[in-house]
Amino acid sequence: MKKILALALALIMVFALVGTTAWAEEPVTLKIWFHGSNVTPDASQKVLDELNVYLQDKIGAKLEVIWGTWGDFDQSVVTALAGGDDVDMVFTCNWSADEYNRYARDGYWVKLDDMLPEYGADLLSVIPEGIWECAKTNGYDGIGIYAVPALKDTATQNCWDVNGTLLAELGYDVDAVCEAGLDYYSDEFEEMLQKAKDYKAAQGENDFYPLVVEPMVLERLVTVTSIVTGDLPGAAVLSFYYDKDHPSNDIGSEIVNKFATPEFEKYAKRTYELAQKGFISPSTQNVGTSNDYLNACQQSASYLFGTQSYAYGCEIDFSNARGIDVRMVPADAPYMDSTSGQGAMMAISAVSKNPEKALEFLNLLNTDPYVMTTLNYGLEGFTFEKNDDGTITFIQENRANYSPWRNGMGNIRILPPTADEGLSYWDDFSAYYNSAEALPYGSFIFDNSVVETEGAAIANVFAEYAFGLCSGATDPDTVLPDFLQKLEAAGMSDFVAAANSQMAEYLAG
Amino acid sequence: MTKNHRLNSISAGTEAVFHVVIGLFSICCIIPFVFVIIISLSAESSIREIGYSFIPRAWSFNTYTYAIQRLPQIWRSYFNSILITVVGTFLSTLICALYSYALFRPDFKYRGFFNFLSFFTMIFGGGLVPTYVICTQILGLKENYAALIVPLLVSPFNIIIMRTFFKSSVPLDLIEAATIDGSGEYSTFFRVVLPVAKPGLATIALLNSLAYWNDWYLSLLYIRQNKILQPLQALLMELQNNVEYLNRMSASLGASAIQEATRAPTQTLRMVLVVLIVVPIACAYPFFQRYIVAGLTIGSVKG
Repeated sequence: MKKILALALALIMVFALVGTTAWAEEPVTLKIWFHGSNVTPDASQKVLDELNVYLQDKIGAKLEVIWGTWGDFDQSVVTALAGGDDVDMVFTCNWSADEYNRYARDGYWVKLDDMLPEYGADLLSVIPEGIWECAKTNGYDGIGIYAVPALKDTATQNCWDVNGTLLAELGYDVDAVCEAGLDYYSDEFEEMLQKAKDYKAAQGENDFYPLVVEPMVLERLVTVTSIVTGDLPGAAVLSFYYDKDHPSNDIGSEIVNKFATPEFEKYAKRTYELAQKGFISPSTQNVGTSNDYLNACQQSASYLFGTQSYAYGCEIDFSNARGIDVRMVPADAPYMDSTSGQGAMMAISAVSKNPEKALEFLNLLNTDPYVMTTLNYGLEGFTFEKNDDGTITFIQENRANYSPWRNGMGNIRILPPTADEGLSYWDDFSAYYNSAEALPYGSFIFDNSVVETEGAAIANVFAEYAFGLCSGATDPDTVLPDFLQKLEAAGMSDFVAAANSQMAEYLAG
Repeated sequence: MTKNHRLNSISAGTEAVFHVVIGLFSICCIIPFVFVIIISLSAESSIREIGYSFIPRAWSFNTYTYAIQRLPQIWRSYFNSILITVVGTFLSTLICALYSYALFRPDFKYRGFFNFLSFFTMIFGGGLVPTYVICTQILGLKENYAALIVPLLVSPFNIIIMRTFFKSSVPLDLIEAATIDGSGEYSTFFRVVLPVAKPGLATIALLNSLAYWNDWYLSLLYIRQNKILQPLQALLMELQNNVEYLNRMSASLGASAIQEATRAPTQTLRMVLVVLIVVPIACAYPFFQRYIVAGLTIGSVKG
């Protein structure tokens, strides 16, 4: 018996020894957390098995992916960060719950400025200076870069979404109308709406409303103002007016109370007038139904004009999805600000044991087409096939099980174009976004925590009035003065002044 | 017999009123579910044109076929849900019975302390983050079935119900008699006390099985990489949350959100999933029903 025991102990020791030596040679495992993915465990396993062979060879690391979805990302990532989970890289941005700027302030991300030249040299050169500028924020360790911004659709441009098929049916020359642009205040604009309404009514569709919009977007589009990053979430009360044709021109504007300008009053009056004439649906004017109604109308192509925050090439996708000729008519030139620059980023978590390795990986992800393609599109022969001309075609069956959110990963401009997009897609894509000018205030981010009390009071007033005014549900003649008065009482002047003084400080250096 | 009123009977008029009230209440309970079934069988085009309706313009089984063929995870999730529910219900009911039995026995020395221990956690929770840290980092409850079962094992509320139940239905003399007859503690518990407490056990078991079947939050917290372990509810929640999130965020995400939203499951698919989820647990009710009625009335003075 003793012999057997001794033998067993000896064996355990040998295995333990083998175990530890094997451990020492084991490559570093990096864990990364993406957002908005639709990936099944089997498909993920298959892709990662192959990718990891390549990664071990290149940087001596293995990748583990948490495929966060749209719905539960916010909740679970916030818990995991607070609980100190061992995740190395986390998706972040300025619109989800793990808000980039706030978490940088609270010390959840590693500051990258000093590490970038050594571990991310290629990254520094691939991502344009302007985008790096947008990624700078005032974190726990001073102003700096706390996450790697994605080189994706990095500009904002407001467009009119025009139902070209319907417009042609009304007897218009679609190209000419789109070429000339649309003027919200013109009689022609109203005439087109009226014609569309009459045309549909003649077909027996009495509940057709030609203007189907997101009211808050329409307001920005018509008044030519930008969002101020750091404004109240869900209650944007600040506006910045910019030059429609050359957004970078300094036209001497400051951050203002969105609702106190003559431009806004003009907009609200016009919208109310159009709504009174039956061009805007009551469903659009109700916060609860507005979005669903918009989606339903877009899918069934039952609109004449809408609004769209433009993404390069989206008219093709929309035309296919809706079965009509969708045209995008720009209302201004594309511009770049921190909102567009911080749309998708990868941060390195402060609890990561291998931040250098993680940065090396992000460097590779953003510069090595194989890594980006594999992670984003999957494997050749599994989720896509290569065509002779260099484009790819998806194998829909497997692609459905492996669809990460394309824009959420990083430099998507090194992906191969799909056959639908055409060979020159990414060149045109880059050309379009590189042409975007930065707004005069650069990548300024308003820190509204200094006027938190005012902010809460303002948000309440906003919820009561703003949507009705922007969607033409309420008459500005009677409502707007009340609204402005209540905003003042809630501390709007202090809020705006705080934003302006911070901006002046930022611009001074 | 015909002339004499039955004991406890009420007048025909009152009975009619009761029936109408209860009937209306039942209809209120059933209609939403019938509506969900109708929507799940409506053609997508019909919903787009006229919205939800009891009489859709066209019927279609397409979404069911799609759900069953194209979402392989559904079957796996079904299996997960059933496994978690069965194992979880068994273990949690057992633990609940054991714990509350000890609290019920007057000769248990540390009754006061253990009573306090369970009662205290009912009022003061540890908070989300500390719970999460303990579960993942100390107990290793992540990416495994245990993470979906263990956190729900002990419910102080059920323990209190069960203890009260023991008090009202198990006479101490019975235990004493069993002891005198030479029965050990375990044998007394399993052979004498539990059979008497069956209705109570069934009630607790039903509460537990509902809790396990309906739970999605544990999966959201602890199952991230190994999503194959997701129970059915978590799968549904995920699909539903995705759609809502994209709608809510469309202003800040711009065009990419709208592109994503077109890939999101349709409204009928969501209803199909609701039907697939509700049907199995609805089948559990008749099974437990007779015990529950017994459990509700037992201990009360019988007429």
